[in-house]
Amino acid sequence: MRSVINGEFVRLAATRLPLWTLLTAVLAGGLVPGLISLIGPENATPPMPAIDTADGAAIVLGLGSFTLFVPALIGTIAISSEYRHRTIGSTFLAQPRRPRVLIAKLVAYAVLGTGYGVVSMTIAAVSVYAAATLRGTAVGAPLAAVLTLTAQLAAAAAIYMLLGVAIGALAQNQIVAIGITLGYFYFLEYIIMILPGVNAIYPMLPGGATAALTRSTFLSDALASQISVPGPGTATPVTGALILIAYAVVAAGIATLIPLRRDIT
Amino acid sequence: MMPASARRGPLIAVRGLGKRFGSVPAVAEATFSAKPGRVTGFIGPNGAGKSTTLRMILGLIRPDAGEATVDGRRYDELLSPPRWVGAVLDVASAHPAMTARGHLRTYAALAGVGRDRVDDVLAQTGADQYADRRIRGFSTGMRQRLALATALLSQPSALILDEPSNGLDPAGIAWLRHFVRDYADGGGTVLLSSHVLTELQQSIDDLVLIDRGRTTWSGTLADFTACYPTLEEAFLSSTTGSQR
Repeated sequence: MRSVINGEFVRLAATRLPLWTLLTAVLAGGLVPGLISLIGPENATPPMPAIDTADGAAIVLGLGSFTLFVPALIGTIAISSEYRHRTIGSTFLAQPRRPRVLIAKLVAYAVLGTGYGVVSMTIAAVSVYAAATLRGTAVGAPLAAVLTLTAQLAAAAAIYMLLGVAIGALAQNQIVAIGITLGYFYFLEYIIMILPGVNAIYPMLPGGATAALTRSTFLSDALASQISVPGPGTATPVTGALILIAYAVVAAGIATLIPLRRDIT
Repeated sequence: MMPASARRGPLIAVRGLGKRFGSVPAVAEATFSAKPGRVTGFIGPNGAGKSTTLRMILGLIRPDAGEATVDGRRYDELLSPPRWVGAVLDVASAHPAMTARGHLRTYAALAGVGRDRVDDVLAQTGADQYADRRIRGFSTGMRQRLALATALLSQPSALILDEPSNGLDPAGIAWLRHFVRDYADGGGTVLLSSHVLTELQQSIDDLVLIDRGRTTWSGTLADFTACYPTLEEAFLSSTTGSQR
């Protein structure tokens, strides 16, 4: 098993995927929370609490959750490229015990996803402190709260990457897989969030669970109030964490079990 | 250059193998064997079921009926399968953003083989000249050598090669012929599928003919061509291709 996990890390190192992952993490962490804190969340539309308040700092950092489709997309592309470039056959020849290969991939991408989350959220946190310094204000939340939120979103990024891996393993066709990932995380989930009645299920979806975990419901509530529909509501942070873990387990199950009986033609 | 298999090769045995894709029967009751120390040619018209059969031997496609074994066991039941069988199935099977060296390091790690083997197989197959170039710029012949290098990483005692001369230049084809011959002479088992019958005639000892999913002939090359001047003529008179 160790050699297979090692093989998946060697595979990652042999491509430019880790570099692209790092670059997108820097961009996602720096651009969204960084720019908003620089502009001042109180000047945004809708206006948010300023970063010298505990809520304001948490909301700005929580904006990192809006870029979680990026690690999902990376996971999707990485796995579906095995089918696109027909390397999955060589992989199963080198290690025909397929569950080992798929578990090794999950381990490798969980590590890559965690790395993405840590880099992205560290940059976001540093951006918030840097913006506060530039604006001559203090960050409203204590350092411990900022670090906790950073760690929560980093863990969420790892889970989103596993969700992407599962979608890639399920769809095989790279274009279809990317379409499903982007369509769901960047479009469908937001539609569900604002549809009256239907949005009751939003807290059970990955986005809703992440919002519950990080208590980042300000924007979804604001969006709902702007279009005069009831907000989607939210679960408790612990429930949000449990829902995300359940998604990770289901994703791991899909990624491991679906390719088991698949013919590699 | 190298070839000889490190140890005596296994018997590759196919018994009653069958596979349907939907309503299409791809392979039906295929039965044959490839013996150690011999090169077995595996020929048939397009769509006869050659690639499907080879993939069933290697566990990539699940048979609906029958079994294929290497030394009496299914491929996925072997201890360290790449040490038993090296395979070239799909010349396109490589990530274009990787270098040849990165590709080989990946599969060496997956198979639990030391990195020193990467340099060995690069030199062995002549792929060392472009080891650090990205695969996206490779010609078909360069990809074919890389595929063979991948198959040789674990020093297997059997080779399963599906159209290995595709894309090779004349020098490459001659090199492959000698390589395969020396490998079998060293005790290795070789099962080789090809449409280049004139080339195959110079390389093989035994022959398996598959047509519309069924093995229609299995035996020595000498017996198959006994009544014909060439393998090509024997093939054309023995297959449905001759009536098209």
